[in-house]
Amino acid sequence: MSSHTKSFFAKTALTAAAALLFLPLGALAQTAAPASATPASSEKTTTSPSKDRWLHVRVISTEAKGETVRVNVPLELAEAVLPSINHDRMHDGKVKIDCAHVNDVDLKALVAAVHNAKDGEYVTVQGRENDVRVAKQNNYLIVHVLDKSESKSKGSQVEIKVPMKVVDALFSAGKDELDLVAALHVLSGQGDMELVSVKDSENTVRVWLDSKNVTE
Amino acid sequence: MLLLAKAALGIGGTLVLAGAYTFHEGVIRVDVDEYRDGGSHVHFWVPAAAVPMAMHFAPQRKLMHGAEHAREFLPVARAIVREMKKYPDAEFVEVTDATQHVRVRTHDGKLQIDVDAPDQKVHLLCPLSTIDEVTRQLEANAPAA
Repeated sequence: MSSHTKSFFAKTALTAAAALLFLPLGALAQTAAPASATPASSEKTTTSPSKDRWLHVRVISTEAKGETVRVNVPLELAEAVLPSINHDRMHDGKVKIDCAHVNDVDLKALVAAVHNAKDGEYVTVQGRENDVRVAKQNNYLIVHVLDKSESKSKGSQVEIKVPMKVVDALFSAGKDELDLVAALHVLSGQGDMELVSVKDSENTVRVWLDSKNVTE
Repeated sequence: MLLLAKAALGIGGTLVLAGAYTFHEGVIRVDVDEYRDGGSHVHFWVPAAAVPMAMHFAPQRKLMHGAEHAREFLPVARAIVREMKKYPDAEFVEVTDATQHVRVRTHDGKLQIDVDAPDQKVHLLCPLSTIDEVTRQLEANAPAA
């Protein structure tokens, strides 16, 4: 090997060694990019497959501090995690209901009766302070409450719309138990829908189901 | 000169392999700043792969003690992390008001928790695979019930 070739090889080897030494630093710089450099949440979408069903909760307060809470939970995640929680009233994805709080009403029998009944309005109360409506419509349980007790500007409105299949699944566990996992499983098979909407002068609460993880 | 070059190439190659292995799971990044008298200022980066590796060298008694304390939460933590891994880029919780911003999300397969408040800032970034491995090791070391 000529001295020229040796010198060339040595230089090449040294350059390669230096380049190799700096490679991890570049990778580290990419890995540790500051959190603030990531796009704002409002622009962010998930990379999960579109078949995923997401339960969204959004609370917007119009009070001085203007608090906004956004929670996005994949139903599959909730279904998998709930059975592992065994604490207090929660066990195996089910939650125990305190009998004392339902005033000896057999909720399971009540749900079965509603399930077997035809569509219609079950409760209609129209008063000076409240309007309440509980109905079954196209296999949905619908609850509507309009609170008129306070001044008109402070009144609240609650709308709940839950598929009967989900209600059935919720009460499919033993007596005094709600089967959350079964309810979530049935819910994941439902189309996009708004489940709960609460509006008053200070807060807006929305709970809805869709296939997106897009923060509005 | 040639000998020096060969030695440099050998050392460089070894360092690259070691570096690549150490950083293949990314880094755990913790930044805590408390803006008050005597407040903490903690900033550190740790190669994520080093944590489960270091746990192998931790005294068994200490691991069992930690696992016993966390026993109730370990299955839940593992289930959450296992499921979160299916959503490598997702926003889970965001709370904002006029002065504060709290966010829990996954970004590039890492759990990212950010708290920006007037009196403190907390930024945590940790690969989900590392949390999974750590909880798995703690579960394995938990004393039998």
